[in-house]
Amino acid sequence: MNLRESLRISWRSIRAHKLRSALTTLGVIIGIAAVITFMVLGGGFSEDIVGDIEAEQEPAMTVQTQTTPEDGFGVMLVETPIYTESDVDALEQREGVEYVAPQGSLDVVQAESGGEQLTGVVDAQATTADRFEHATFVDGGPFDGADEAVVNEQAGQAFEGNVSVGDELELTFEDGETTTVTVTGVVESELGEQTPPQVFVPADEHYTTTVETPDGDEERAYPTLQIGAEGLDDVDPVQETAVDYLEEESHAAELKGDDDEIAVQTVEDAIEQFDDLVGQLTVFIGAVAGIALVVGSIGIANIMIVSVTERTREIGIMKAVGATKRDIMQLFLVESVVLGVIGAVVGVAAGLGFGYLGVWLLGWPMVYPLEWVAIAVAVGTGVGVVSGLYPAWRGARVDPIEALRHE
Amino acid sequence: MVAHDTGPGAAAVTAESVRRTYHLAEPVHAIDGVSLSLGKGSFTAVMGPSGSGKSTLMNLVGCLDTPDEGRIEVGGHSVGELSDAERARLRGTEIGFVFQTFNLMPRLTAVENVRLPMVFHDGVEADRQERARSLLERVGLGDRLEHEPSELSGGQRQRVALARALANEPTLVLADEPTGNLDTETEAEIMELLVELNEAGATILLVTHERAVAEYADHVVNLLDGEIESLEHLSDARDVTAREQAAGGAGNRRSTGEGEA
Repeated sequence: MNLRESLRISWRSIRAHKLRSALTTLGVIIGIAAVITFMVLGGGFSEDIVGDIEAEQEPAMTVQTQTTPEDGFGVMLVETPIYTESDVDALEQREGVEYVAPQGSLDVVQAESGGEQLTGVVDAQATTADRFEHATFVDGGPFDGADEAVVNEQAGQAFEGNVSVGDELELTFEDGETTTVTVTGVVESELGEQTPPQVFVPADEHYTTTVETPDGDEERAYPTLQIGAEGLDDVDPVQETAVDYLEEESHAAELKGDDDEIAVQTVEDAIEQFDDLVGQLTVFIGAVAGIALVVGSIGIANIMIVSVTERTREIGIMKAVGATKRDIMQLFLVESVVLGVIGAVVGVAAGLGFGYLGVWLLGWPMVYPLEWVAIAVAVGTGVGVVSGLYPAWRGARVDPIEALRHE
Repeated sequence: MVAHDTGPGAAAVTAESVRRTYHLAEPVHAIDGVSLSLGKGSFTAVMGPSGSGKSTLMNLVGCLDTPDEGRIEVGGHSVGELSDAERARLRGTEIGFVFQTFNLMPRLTAVENVRLPMVFHDGVEADRQERARSLLERVGLGDRLEHEPSELSGGQRQRVALARALANEPTLVLADEPTGNLDTETEAEIMELLVELNEAGATILLVTHERAVAEYADHVVNLLDGEIESLEHLSDARDVTAREQAAGGAGNRRSTGEGEA
């Protein structure tokens, strides 16, 4: 029996029970639509955050401390200042290292410019001028003196008056003290629009956080370092050296928490890590949605078994006019595969639709998860085959003599 | 055990000492040592009260069942020696079934129902549609090709079933109480059609419990308790009836032939 004929006969029987067939495929439709929707949302989220990060290759890497949250997954940044001045100096001596720029936040609560005050919005970071070695300035350049500062674009735009080079900025610390700095440059944010408004001031003059080193001294320490390599070719060896040093010899290795890990990452590494995380999360949610698919396939199997029982007489007729067991199996399998494929196609369409609506509402870019669409169609077909196998086998086993007597 | 020969020339179906036993509370020989030969182009009726083994014999000859003892040959193939798939193939190519309850596929049109045996028989690919159409025209349903069974009368349904039975040019048409669900007038139409098909060359085995229906055949095999009780040859009478009909006679073609049993 050729496939076209079985398709024709199966299609007749699917259409003869329109409502039942529709309800049967609904399980598969919901399952696949849910998976595709989450994939679109996950992809959109990732694209939204990572998409406008300038993944320009630059010979710089960031040193941060990360930990895995106790309940949950992914990574969390640890803001403990563990990288001491000695560590910074030691790293700077290593081969291939051009500079090491420490960075630590200041507890600035308010920023004022031209009579306009912003409270709790602006993030103030203390660092060194080296930090801007590979940064792109929209205007001006790095700070040079104690009373100078660099702002990022977001900080500039945070003020209605648009803070620019030459403007004065008054920062108020948590303890009530204030300092006035002059903006020397507006820098582009590497992490794109997601970056909060930031003001960078020289660490030497403004950073005061200290820790007791393992040697018993009191030293300034930072939660983050930026290491610049001499050239692109030095990035990998420098990364290796830095990791070795920081993990084995540094103060940081002693000061860090037991569960904390020192991460030395280039921008690309960070993007990759983030992508991995979103990917894991998306697959996790997708797997939950996949449960609907299992339910859907049970639905198909259930209906196919009913269908086999209902059509016992028809099976008898077909066997009487020459259908082999294989023919009968093929008929029922084709029917359940058709149901599965219809479910997959409609589910993909619905999933893309819901996903599109979702990213549109959230303002994320639309991503077409093509590989998941392919997987969905394959899974739909597979669901059809798997859920049709047992009913088809039962149908094929029907005794024609009994079946023809069946009313 | 006497071999009953119902036909001249080569045999379409032969049964040799066939026994079929059902293992119920105690073994029941539904068919017990039946030997029979149906000649090509013959028209044979099997009669008998219920429980006499008619259905079992039909299932055996129709390759739906296999004998426990003895041998059945259909179109030169020994049914008992075939695999399940081979018997299915044999049913499709050598046997055409006509049932009391028509047994048409409810959701397929008349043409599609007639095509069905050809669909399962991969050999005939080319002109299934054309052949199905011409078969339906032959049974007088040229204007009902696209109707589903539910849109047809009982007589029309049985005509579709007849056309379907002929789809693969079978060695044997097996008609099991083909007029059991029809009124007298339609019964006559269907039986005339069977006679017509027989005269055009089809071998027909008719199972019935009605004497009047059986008399359309050339031979009548009387079954009782799974054994052949007697065999009647009615061929001679047929010409007479045909002449009567030509002279304006109606109803059954035969009034003679009874009492031979």
